[in-house]
Amino acid sequence: MKKLLLIQFLLLCSILQAQDVDSLMANLSEEKDYRVQATFKSPRLVLLQTNETQKAKNLAFWVGHRFGDIGGEFGGSNTLFGLDIATDLYLGFDYGITDALTVGIGRSKFNESYSGLVKYRLLWQEEDSMPLSVTLFGQSSWITREPFSRNEFDKESDRISHFFQVIIARKFSPGVSFMINPGFLIRPEAQVQDIDDSDNLFALGIGGRVKIFKRISIIADYTFVNGLSRPDDLQTDYYNPFGVGVEIETGGHVFALNFQNSQAIIANNFIPNTTKSWSDGGVRFGFMISRNFNLGPKKIAN
Amino acid sequence: MRPFYFLIMTFLYWNTTPVNAQFYQTTSAEIRFFSSAPVEDIEAVSKEGIAVLNSDNGEISFKVMMRSFKFEKSLMQEHFNENYVESEKYPAATFKGEANSKIDLDSSTPQEVVFKGDFSVHGVSRPRDIPVRITVKNNGKALKLESQFDVACKDHDIKIPKILWENIAEVIEVSVNAEFQIITK
Repeated sequence: MKKLLLIQFLLLCSILQAQDVDSLMANLSEEKDYRVQATFKSPRLVLLQTNETQKAKNLAFWVGHRFGDIGGEFGGSNTLFGLDIATDLYLGFDYGITDALTVGIGRSKFNESYSGLVKYRLLWQEEDSMPLSVTLFGQSSWITREPFSRNEFDKESDRISHFFQVIIARKFSPGVSFMINPGFLIRPEAQVQDIDDSDNLFALGIGGRVKIFKRISIIADYTFVNGLSRPDDLQTDYYNPFGVGVEIETGGHVFALNFQNSQAIIANNFIPNTTKSWSDGGVRFGFMISRNFNLGPKKIAN
Repeated sequence: MRPFYFLIMTFLYWNTTPVNAQFYQTTSAEIRFFSSAPVEDIEAVSKEGIAVLNSDNGEISFKVMMRSFKFEKSLMQEHFNENYVESEKYPAATFKGEANSKIDLDSSTPQEVVFKGDFSVHGVSRPRDIPVRITVKNNGKALKLESQFDVACKDHDIKIPKILWENIAEVIEVSVNAEFQIITK
């Protein structure tokens, strides 16, 4: 009898429950797993690439600049803290073939190099099921400057290097994102400046951003090159590239105002050739500006 | 003991289930919004609105995930979620309210009903009167709801930077189009 009473009571409860608009809503609200958007605001952080790519049919125009040493023997008031000098200038276009696939071309002042890049988003972080985003990045660079010595580049392929990177990123909260970028640089022996240095170099980048306002973030990245595959006892002092900056987003533009020790902008140049250090005034000011153009259809599909 | 007990239970059941209590639901309500500004018109659409309506007392509950809105330009969609509605903090827009007049399930002509309730977006809730046109279909097995109303960004603390006033309207036109199906027990 008691059991029957209990069953009756539970039945009654469930009917009462089903009577309510709110409880019916609760049954309907099975939340969809959406992709996490905007892990980073831009496809580039300070020096490194982020997991972000161009949106489909969007073209970005890039202008980048690296000034001279702020301090040390090449900086100070003689060069207005490096502002008289341009160690690198970058002009480039990136185009999103799909939301996942971006191709780009660019030209750097450093080594007068032309570069082409491909970025592919392999995995997208989702709100529930997928914790990480993974993007593959490849960039080839062609040095076009006159050789410094007669036999610097014996053949045309001596001017070409390739860089591959896997970008693993996670947006921890609306304001905080991090990434880890293991990479590998393949370069011909002709491009090795220090005779003891290895041709090919492993690189491990780490980077992050913290939003301080809705449209303004602090960004930083650091790349381990020394201490990986690079020999320890080199004639030249090489340093690990490190940059910090402020990123400002205004609709179609993203501005990054940076300080870094690397003289060059593209990875093929700065991974092997960073000879300046933060500790002896070799840090420099720089900026990276992108302007986005939507080349897709103007009308909504449905 | 037993007949008496069943009498009580029957009475309770009868009391808690009014004969004409009827629920309708949808999981594919279409919500569009439109912003008209000097430089550009922006339109977005979601077809993932969910809602439940009690035709007996006119109670309604409506919900749409901000992330489900699709824009013509995906960068706009990112800015909408990141900069304006902050959909990671405030994932959904909701309306909960009650009709101010009875819905006549026997009439097949469109009925104008005003739903009084709370409209919430970007974490800010406002009391609103939303006019809705209801059409009873399939002998009361389905209800079609159509509505147009305006949402002022500043009512919900959605801030538009001054330099973008030419691109984004201060008042957004919202239209809802939903077909509710009866819930059969």
